Amino acid sequence: MKRRTFLKGAGVALLLPRMESLGQVSKADSPRRLLTIVNHLSFYQPELIPQVEGAFRKTPPLLEEFSDHLDQLKIFSGLDNPAVQNGFGHTPCVGILSGYFNKLHRKNRLSIDQAVADLVGDETRFKSLVFQAGENLNFSQISWDKHGLPVKQIDSPRKIFNLLFQVDENEKTQQQALAEDRSILDAVLAQAKSMEKRLNATDRAKMDEYLNSVREVEKTVKRRAYWADRTKPRVDYEVEDFDRKSVDDYVGTLMDLAVLALETDSTRAVTVQIPFWEGFKEPDLSGNYHDLSHHGQKPEKIRKLLKLEHAILKRINASLSTMKERTVGNSSLFDQTTTILTASMGSANSHNFDDLPALVFDARMKTAGHWQKKDVPMSNLYLGLLQLFGGQHDRFGESTGSFEVLS
Amino acid sequence: MARTLRTGIVFPGTMLLVVAFLSPGHGAEQKLEKFFAQHCVKCHGSKKQKGEVRLDQPIGELLADEDLLETIASVLEEGEMPPESAPRPKAETVAEVVNLLQEQILEQRPANPLKRLTRTEYTNTMRDLFGVDFDFTGLLPPDHVEQGFDKFGKPQLMSPHQLVAYLKTARFIAERVLPDSQPETRTWDFDVRHFHGSKNFATGGGGDYRDGDDYVLTGFRPYRSNLHFSIDPDSHEQFVIPAFGVYQLEVKAHSAKSKEGEIIGINLGDGRHPTSFQNIRRIAMPHGSKGFTTELTLKAGDMLAFTFDSARVPGRSLAKKPHKGPAMRFSRMKVTGPMVKQWPTPAMKAILPKSNMKPQELVDHIAWLLTRRPLAEEDRRAFTGIAQARVDSGASMTATARSVLIALLTSPHFIYKSESPELTDVERAQRLSLFLWNSAPDSELYDAARAGDLHKDSSVQVERMLKDPRSSRFIDDFTRQWLQLDKVDDFGPDVRVFKNVRRMTVDSMGREGRELFRHLLENGLGMEHFIDSDFVMVNDRLARFYGLAAVPGDGFVPVKLPKNSERGGLVAQAGFLKLTSTDFATSPIHRGSWILKNLYNERIEPPADVLINEPDIRGTTTVREAILKHQQLESCSRCHSKIDPLGFALEYYDPVGRKRNEYRHVEELPAKLEGTTFTKKIKFTRVPIDAAMKLPNGREVRDLPTLKAALMADKERIFKGILGKLISYAHGREITRADRPHVDAVYESIAQQEFSLRAAIHAIVAHPAFGQK
Repeated sequence: MKRRTFLKGAGVALLLPRMESLGQVSKADSPRRLLTIVNHLSFYQPELIPQVEGAFRKTPPLLEEFSDHLDQLKIFSGLDNPAVQNGFGHTPCVGILSGYFNKLHRKNRLSIDQAVADLVGDETRFKSLVFQAGENLNFSQISWDKHGLPVKQIDSPRKIFNLLFQVDENEKTQQQALAEDRSILDAVLAQAKSMEKRLNATDRAKMDEYLNSVREVEKTVKRRAYWADRTKPRVDYEVEDFDRKSVDDYVGTLMDLAVLALETDSTRAVTVQIPFWEGFKEPDLSGNYHDLSHHGQKPEKIRKLLKLEHAILKRINASLSTMKERTVGNSSLFDQTTTILTASMGSANSHNFDDLPALVFDARMKTAGHWQKKDVPMSNLYLGLLQLFGGQHDRFGESTGSFEVLS
Repeated sequence: MARTLRTGIVFPGTMLLVVAFLSPGHGAEQKLEKFFAQHCVKCHGSKKQKGEVRLDQPIGELLADEDLLETIASVLEEGEMPPESAPRPKAETVAEVVNLLQEQILEQRPANPLKRLTRTEYTNTMRDLFGVDFDFTGLLPPDHVEQGFDKFGKPQLMSPHQLVAYLKTARFIAERVLPDSQPETRTWDFDVRHFHGSKNFATGGGGDYRDGDDYVLTGFRPYRSNLHFSIDPDSHEQFVIPAFGVYQLEVKAHSAKSKEGEIIGINLGDGRHPTSFQNIRRIAMPHGSKGFTTELTLKAGDMLAFTFDSARVPGRSLAKKPHKGPAMRFSRMKVTGPMVKQWPTPAMKAILPKSNMKPQELVDHIAWLLTRRPLAEEDRRAFTGIAQARVDSGASMTATARSVLIALLTSPHFIYKSESPELTDVERAQRLSLFLWNSAPDSELYDAARAGDLHKDSSVQVERMLKDPRSSRFIDDFTRQWLQLDKVDDFGPDVRVFKNVRRMTVDSMGREGRELFRHLLENGLGMEHFIDSDFVMVNDRLARFYGLAAVPGDGFVPVKLPKNSERGGLVAQAGFLKLTSTDFATSPIHRGSWILKNLYNERIEPPADVLINEPDIRGTTTVREAILKHQQLESCSRCHSKIDPLGFALEYYDPVGRKRNEYRHVEELPAKLEGTTFTKKIKFTRVPIDAAMKLPNGREVRDLPTLKAALMADKERIFKGILGKLISYAHGREITRADRPHVDAVYESIAQQEFSLRAAIHAIVAHPAFGQK
């Protein structure tokens, strides 16, 4: 597999203005950040999850990849996504971050990354950044806002980089358009409100979606108008030519960008998805990633699959190490960031939506180790995370309780 | 027609009797509760919840679950439940329970929620209102499709992303239909010196080359050939369209070494990344053609290219030996544009009929122009405010109109379809034109609607609309979504296995279903031709592919089948057979479920509680042994006993829809390290076919003719299924059991016309429900 040098240099120009005009200036020197990583093809769990509960003694080979961070890691295994059953193939994966997915109940579909972004996302250029699983939207819409609407996911590393760091030459000329957009949004909002009064209940729900969309766009337009006047951070990083078909290479690039986005405080909530669709294969390995994940318990296929999984975890581990090296304000980026790595299926071989693993990295945790949580809702972990970020919620998705992540 | 219609609406007599005898309400609930307790809760209760269904819940809760009621009614009616192993309830009891459920379902008739314009409707509306022949489907996000058609309101999502797309598209349109000044028309000439093809791609060998005054496209896979143009002969900088407008292309080209003619695709995209091309037009180049002239609406920044695909894989380097296969030779191209035929344009005159309009007058005029519905008083203020602000800032009338147009095109007034509980005349005209033209009505239709003609006798307008070329949009859009034949080339065919299946043949396969629909509609033929017919719609390639007498040209014509031919009907079409297969294997499950979904209009979904946790079956030798596992599992067998026989009967047709007598099991041998995927060796194993299987009603189907006979015996259900598809498309919502009286009425009313497809369209529009939300 192709190896690239990781994140050369640390020359990040941090000249970030506060968003005075939008209020809510944080007093804290070290804001909290969330990095969410989802692998849709899951992991070969026998080599990831320790056999016993409690502190790590013997670490399985896949987990060994995180040997530098074991003191700040809690693994939860056997988690369940109880409401996820309504679907086929990879469709239910879209509910992984919501801990709940039912097409009929959109309101309940808020995903954890967006719930956290609602709490920490006001001061940055982007409320959140969600990367798509490669350049293919198939079943990779996993980020849902509080209205149950899909959050725009960005599909290519180049676009992500440009969005974060490139000067948009049209930005200035777009200022006038932005001003006009605001008056148009006012007008269509007024019309939608008055139209809504004349509709029946079902149609009002539809019109609510429109109204909520307008309000969200208004906020975005306002935010964009504010940030359009302010220069983007400069970084000493190039999106190198990488092999678009290589999971390993792709993950490396996405993780680089995720770390940079957090480090430059462009956003405080980043969601990364591991590319998984048919096209992904390694030049020196016959069979593609998706195909290998359907290993049918054949040792040969599992061996190849593990090779890919090791490569992916190596990349994630490297990013965690980088986050420890980087200082932002008074502490390291790792100290300020909670990282969650999870999978939307228990096993991609059998396509089951229970027995889910979740790895949580947080510098503040007192005890590390493995917790078996057979059939406990994933939402309990999400609620625990949300409370960690100051959320006053007492329920999230299908939660029946809340995990203590930092204990 | 009116008389038959009336009799049709009447509920089947037996049902009326039972309903009258057992008035719904408390008594009915007790009956259902008792029936469930006796016959269902043993497996669907507190101890077991097979299929994750529990019927020991309070009856009120169960009755509120519309989907559950539909399922229970269907499984009881078709005798699928209780299972054979359990004691059978009396037939009368089952009939009574089904009727009670049906009554309950009718009461909970699904709402027809607010719908917005689909991408296609949006594009056509802009085309008809402003004469902008531009495909906006690239600017708007794809419409969410569930259970059938993109026209359904229920699954349509509105999101910030969607709203921004509307806003951007509206600005794009406004800036182009209301420009500040007249664009300048220019001409560009290109010859062989400016042409660049696809060279040295991954295949290592193949490629396009210059030959004297011609540039030759060889069309090798995996990358089709793409010809792009540069202004400067010495540079590869691709020619970029400078401004929005209509461009005329005059192309001198001819096909070489091809008796059957070829197709050129016109693509937009960057010549360096040929896989990202977007095909915008296909140009038929019949044998002997010397070129073509066409007009395209393009936007600034678009990059043109021509594509040609010969479906061949180069086996050797062209450097050693000249290319001998089919090729497309290009000599010259002239581009002229943006062309202005009239100034001010008709769109400018329509939007701004007077040079000075008061803000309110302007807003009212544009709102009316877009939807023929006035803006409510309180809705109008905000838009007038925008116009006033523009006027106050000293903007020109055109700029002011532009802002108002952007705002209105983004507003619910335009985006959403207005549907009152009883449709108004204007709303009725709009539903009709969105159905048959996929666009806004024209003045004649609005006038007819206002005169009250549409709900008195719609046949004159329907007849006029079906004769109008715009009805092609309905034919295209409906058949594309109903038959899904646009996906015919999503898989392969694997060129290593199906060496002689040209891409153009596959392209023709994708059009056959649509052309059959068109032929039946235009000639008032009966819907049974969808099941079986003594003719097929073919063009030159398809006629050759089916082994029929030669047909000239790319256009489709009806050809009578020889006596011994198995073709005829949708399930014998190569397009369907290929669509439901992967690149080198057939899939009986896809074929069977396609028939149930699209002909019977059944809701086939993978069961909620079943995980696909069987072992990988891709290695097994016959599909049959792998798939029959489904029927052994009780949870799968309910659907698979219906799906599998239909699909297996078609096993004598291979993945590209050709007759075969045995399976050719394909195995990929491990690649040599230095090789690419396209040089991997393939091994074939021959395995006999066993296609015979029994349908749930006991009838055996064993091949295509017996399958078609079985479908024909079931034609009432299939006609009703197809009518259900058409009605759901016209009304923009899913058709459920609650709509049975409606479907039955339409069915009865066309019985006299031998179930002609054209009569079906008339009957759907004439039915009272067409005038209701």
